[in-house]
Amino acid sequence: MTQLMIQSISPLLIIAFGLVLSLLLVAWRRSQKLMLTFTLAIFFAALSASISLMSDITNPMQVTTLMAVDNYGYYAFILVLVASIAVALLSSSWLTHTVEVHDEFFILLQLVVLGAGVLVMSDHFASLFLGFELLSIALVGMVGYSRSCQYSIESSFKYLILSASASSFMLLGIAFIYSQSGSLSFSSALFVTESASAQMSLFYHAGVLLFLVGVAFKLSLAPFHLWTPDVYQGAPTSVTLLLATVSKVAMFIVLMKFWFSQQSLFIQMPHNQIPHNNSNAFTTFDLMSSLAILSMLVGNALALKQQNIKRLLAYSSIAHMGYLLIVLMVISAKNIDLAWQSALFYLSAYVLATVSIFTVLQLSQDSNGNSELNVSDWQGLFWHKRSLALLVIVAVLSLAGIPLTMGFIGKFYLLNVAVQAQQWWILAALIIGSGIGLFYYLRIVFSLFILNAVEANHNSAEGLKVNPLVNIAVTALISLGLILGVYPDVLSAMLMRF
Amino acid sequence: MNITLVMTSLLFGGALAWYIESIKAQSARWIAIITVLIVGLYFALSIITAGYDFSSLQTLVRLSWINSFNIEYALGVDYLSLVLVSLTFLLAVICILVSWQEIQTKTGFYYFNLLAAIAGIIGVFTAVDMFLFFFFWEVMLLPMTALIAIWGHENKHFAAIKFFIFTQVSSLLMLVAIIAMAAIHFQQTGRVSFFYADWLTLELPPSISTYLMLGFFIAFAVKLPSVPVHSWLPDAHTQAPTAGSVLLAGVLLKTGAYGLIRFVIHLFPQASVEFAPIAATLGVVSILYGAKMAFAQQDFKRLVAYSSISHMGFVMLALFSFNAIAYQGAVLTLVAHGLSSAALFALAGMVYSRIHSRDLSHMGGFWQSAPRMGGFALAFAAAAFGLPGLANFVAEFFSLVGAYQRFPLLTILAAFGLIGSAIYGMVLFQSAFHGKGQDMREGKSSVIDDLSKRELLVFTSLLALLIVIGFYPNLVLTFFQNTDVTLAITTTAGGQ
Repeated sequence: MTQLMIQSISPLLIIAFGLVLSLLLVAWRRSQKLMLTFTLAIFFAALSASISLMSDITNPMQVTTLMAVDNYGYYAFILVLVASIAVALLSSSWLTHTVEVHDEFFILLQLVVLGAGVLVMSDHFASLFLGFELLSIALVGMVGYSRSCQYSIESSFKYLILSASASSFMLLGIAFIYSQSGSLSFSSALFVTESASAQMSLFYHAGVLLFLVGVAFKLSLAPFHLWTPDVYQGAPTSVTLLLATVSKVAMFIVLMKFWFSQQSLFIQMPHNQIPHNNSNAFTTFDLMSSLAILSMLVGNALALKQQNIKRLLAYSSIAHMGYLLIVLMVISAKNIDLAWQSALFYLSAYVLATVSIFTVLQLSQDSNGNSELNVSDWQGLFWHKRSLALLVIVAVLSLAGIPLTMGFIGKFYLLNVAVQAQQWWILAALIIGSGIGLFYYLRIVFSLFILNAVEANHNSAEGLKVNPLVNIAVTALISLGLILGVYPDVLSAMLMRF
Repeated sequence: MNITLVMTSLLFGGALAWYIESIKAQSARWIAIITVLIVGLYFALSIITAGYDFSSLQTLVRLSWINSFNIEYALGVDYLSLVLVSLTFLLAVICILVSWQEIQTKTGFYYFNLLAAIAGIIGVFTAVDMFLFFFFWEVMLLPMTALIAIWGHENKHFAAIKFFIFTQVSSLLMLVAIIAMAAIHFQQTGRVSFFYADWLTLELPPSISTYLMLGFFIAFAVKLPSVPVHSWLPDAHTQAPTAGSVLLAGVLLKTGAYGLIRFVIHLFPQASVEFAPIAATLGVVSILYGAKMAFAQQDFKRLVAYSSISHMGFVMLALFSFNAIAYQGAVLTLVAHGLSSAALFALAGMVYSRIHSRDLSHMGGFWQSAPRMGGFALAFAAAAFGLPGLANFVAEFFSLVGAYQRFPLLTILAAFGLIGSAIYGMVLFQSAFHGKGQDMREGKSSVIDDLSKRELLVFTSLLALLIVIGFYPNLVLTFFQNTDVTLAITTTAGGQ
């Protein structure tokens, strides 16, 4: 049994063990190339371990009280690893611009991945907090990594202070929940609340509320989103990618695990049973849906006038997290599977699109040496660097949820969940939000096609050299986005078997 | 008959044109037109040789596509789709001919977009799985938006974004309605289905069906377009390149009407009948408002764009009259307006290529130097205001006769639209071809070249069709007589 447990968390152990070896490696020889290779090797090892485990285990398995592994968790960890591999590759080119040796950067990256891995597999508030802090503290270091950059101190301090206060809110919430349930495990809290008196349940709900504040900060849901644009802009591009993908995916998965274990929060009781006690439960549910609606509208509205691509993506990620919250709005237990599938499909589409855009962003930054890229810097890209422009188009249309791309299927999933749960207000907000969103997404796409800018930007684009390896990656990303958009069964059939 | 082959070969032809253009300049247009002609010929031949009875919907292909939601790749046709697809092919040829000289930058990519848009439109007219329909509905938007945004006129980005957002937001409403229908199907039969024929058998509770019907109706009303969601159309038309306008007015607006017929009226007969007074009122408002606005325009293309709104109002009025004659009138209006508005937009493009302006005040006195163009312009303006002998007359006459039996007052009001159309038609013709232009007033000559052979070919074929259908409307109507489509509509209305 113990051996089976160890086997089932082997991806995490690989990362943790690799981390120790990496520290020894730094002591032995400081070489960035060696470190990059080693980091990639660890990630690929963890990736293959997760993939093979995902096909093995069919039932959720409890690993001590701290963790519960299931296929959803493995799949989320695979997403995290894929995104981190992209981050590692993208940052390698950026880090060579300075003379120092930057092998610490990769150690921080491994720490982030370890934290994310603990989060997606946690089933206990202690492991949740452990993962949360590992992720946040390592990220603070990475956000401020490029010391010469104008905004690095500002953004890392913003992230540090707000992250610390968010985690203290979260701790207080966990303490409240513990005071009522007497257990830090997600699933055991359930039994207590069912039989709880009204007074007890007040503290329980306050705890849930405070806990959600901490999560909402990490997911940058409105109104806890204020740090997002500044940190996105100030952090190095590859770290922004990490913030946008790994930290979001991990936090969202753990939020779902928590939420679906507290069924009293969202399952509507038949009206003859305990109606007076249920009014509190409704408020938490309503709070979640208002967070979702607010994030969709605020994120999209604030993105409208942004010129800086990273800030624009920051606001758009707020809106996307708002869309994703729809999967929490299930009202009967039989829809939970659909909610999981929707969340994972949507997250995959989101990660793929974000990785695609940031790849192009990093490449064009490398070529013109400017870390503050605006939408207008991509003008006319389609006419001289077609593959990169196509990648941007596929990614942006995917974020906008236009058919042919994966994002559309993701949105289709979300709409399905919302229609099943009959959440018409959220649907209305989703439609309005997408309508507003199109405006700035299309602005990016149109600027790629601008004709008369070809001459002006030609010189800077000349420098945009793409080596064959990158070209293969770009083609792969484009075709992945399109194939999964036109024939989503490849992924959705797999998610259904989980 | 293999519609999939038709669509893929159009796409392939477009890609080939894009690729060859980079090797040899000026070759893309040849490849494009050859592709459209060959594929069109194949399509025509396969209709003639096909042994189906197209008076009811014939499913041609049915393959499973996305198993997790039981979504199928299903295509089917009946006479309605066949007529509209044929119209699409005809206008595709016209589109390529009018862009022959006009498009000089990025020609290969232009023809790729044009052919991709046509392939998407054919998909819309033939899809019978609702998810697939929605898929094509959106996919045809992308190349169309690209046509406007890349090769359009001075304010093209604004127009393209407006066009895209209007369509996208309204179609999301439709997507929600589609998903809700699938969920209802699941509740009633225990199986999710997006297949059109399955949905026809559903029994919808009246309270929900009104909302679902509205979801579809709004999406199609935006596309049609109908007041009050019409405002994208004048901008999109004005800024689009000539072929874009021809395609928009000729076929894209018809997808809205097609959706109203195929989905709104057939899936929600009861709710549509209850909604009919409002829809018909919207139709009449569109007729009068479109005509009034058309009269006030100084921009050639904007004028024609508003006239389109006016004409599509007749379609809306006729469709929601639930009457066999009105239905025939509506279908005939689709064809007739497709031809006449395409001709007018082509004319606008030809004038623009000569004087680089769409402003009517810059025009005038063209008759002297370009009498042939003037003659055709007069004929097409006459078609637009419904001169007997041309297809539009029969179409509007049928629509009004049919609609009168159900909405007498509204029909009388709608008939005033005919007067309005005569006024703006004459304004258009007179200010462009009669009198003195601004240039002439300033002492310069306003001599323009008369029609070239290519342009003559475009106009002759369109005018010939308008006249043939005008004198022998049975050419189109024969497909829509006593079909069960009309019967279904009349029985529903009779049940009221």
